[in-house]
Amino acid sequence: MLRVKAGDVDRMGLLFERYHRKLFSFLYHMLGRADTSEDLVQNVFYRMLKYRHTYTGEGEFRTWMYHLARNVLADHVKKNRHATHHADVADFAEKIGGGARADERMEHEQEVAALHRALGRLSADNREVLILSRFQELKYEEIARVLNTTEGAVKVRVHRAMHELKTIYLRIEN
Amino acid sequence: MNCEQVQPLLPEYIHKHLAPADHARLEAHLAQCPVCQEELRATRQVWQALGAVPVPEPSEKLRPEFYAMLAAYKQEVHEAPGSGSSLAGFWQQLRALLAPAQALRLAYGLGLLVVGLAAGYWLNGPKVAAPADQQQQLAALTTQVEQMRQVMLLALIENPSATERLRAVSYTKELGEGANERVVEALLSTLNHDENVNVRLATLEALAQLADAPSVRMGLVQALPQQESPLVQAALADVMVLLQERRSVLPLRRLLRQPGLNQAVKSKIEESLKSLSPGRPAAPSTTPSSHETLHYSRPDRGAGLAV
Repeated sequence: MLRVKAGDVDRMGLLFERYHRKLFSFLYHMLGRADTSEDLVQNVFYRMLKYRHTYTGEGEFRTWMYHLARNVLADHVKKNRHATHHADVADFAEKIGGGARADERMEHEQEVAALHRALGRLSADNREVLILSRFQELKYEEIARVLNTTEGAVKVRVHRAMHELKTIYLRIEN
Repeated sequence: MNCEQVQPLLPEYIHKHLAPADHARLEAHLAQCPVCQEELRATRQVWQALGAVPVPEPSEKLRPEFYAMLAAYKQEVHEAPGSGSSLAGFWQQLRALLAPAQALRLAYGLGLLVVGLAAGYWLNGPKVAAPADQQQQLAALTTQVEQMRQVMLLALIENPSATERLRAVSYTKELGEGANERVVEALLSTLNHDENVNVRLATLEALAQLADAPSVRMGLVQALPQQESPLVQAALADVMVLLQERRSVLPLRRLLRQPGLNQAVKSKIEESLKSLSPGRPAAPSTTPSSHETLHYSRPDRGAGLAV
């Protein structure tokens, strides 16, 4: 990224190849919509170009990327105040398909769909820490930097998020 | 470690992100606490289930769209290098400086217009307010201009160039009644002594207009014998007729007697003499000693011839 900052804009392609999946999955989990998430991925990379001078080189590039992604997300949420997280349940139905042991798979997929929905019902803050730690596999220390908070605060929030998720998930399951 | 301390650490424990010391203490607690074991089981289940939540692949258009955006951005940067201190950047800044200058120019123009209007209004105002004052000024100016013209005329009339002298003479028309004695004197002198016929003719024309003044009339009469050019002689004779100047009869007759007088001028003068003394009966009875009697016979004869 430092080379991008120095004016080697073509290097951005490398960063795109390395990080766009992670970024997409973060945004997808946060929003629950694939199409919007793709648009926002584009937005984040555009901001990286535009604000590349703000990248100091201290700390990891990932942290900076999630920082920008959160800003993009916040802008998006502000613009679409009524849009809430909504799971593309239809997507799951498509993926199940037919074939042998369809029942078993169906059962598993239903579980996953339930969890996905449960995730969608979490508060945005709790959802965020869960996604960052579970899906993006960031350490608490990194999450703390992304969220501009302390590691202890992240720890507490992850715990609360897990507890909330379990409650919702179990309610959906039953 | 008690349960309240253990439970927040469970996700980290599952992730194996815990510090070794914490890890050991947590496991020690778990071994003797069924509640926390159950909690761990549930958390792990959800955690693992979360891992199974599929993330759809970004669609195939994301990649080309990104590279298109990158190319567009590169072009944008190339056209307007924000951080670079290159020549293009300098031009950009210069243009940015000039853009408000155009607005400034417009404002300046409008300002000038307003000033012009105000000045026009201000200059108009006093004129209407004080017409008497202005007329006085105008009269003073007119006098000044006439004086200027006189000086010009007097200066030009001695110019070696005939054209300039002609111009000087033409000023007399514009002088009108302002022509003073000095001017008349100069004009008469020109009429009598100027070497150029055209100038003398023009002078004669100018003087004829001033002939209301006695001095001018007198001068014209006195100029008669001094003229040598047939053209001026004829013109002068015409002027005399026009003015009905009887004092010119004698010099005209004398002129008629001059040897080598132009034939056309001769007949012209004879005509003039006739109109100047229409049916004057004095002619036959005049004394022979008088020049006049001597000359009277000729018009009579001329008249007799005509009859």
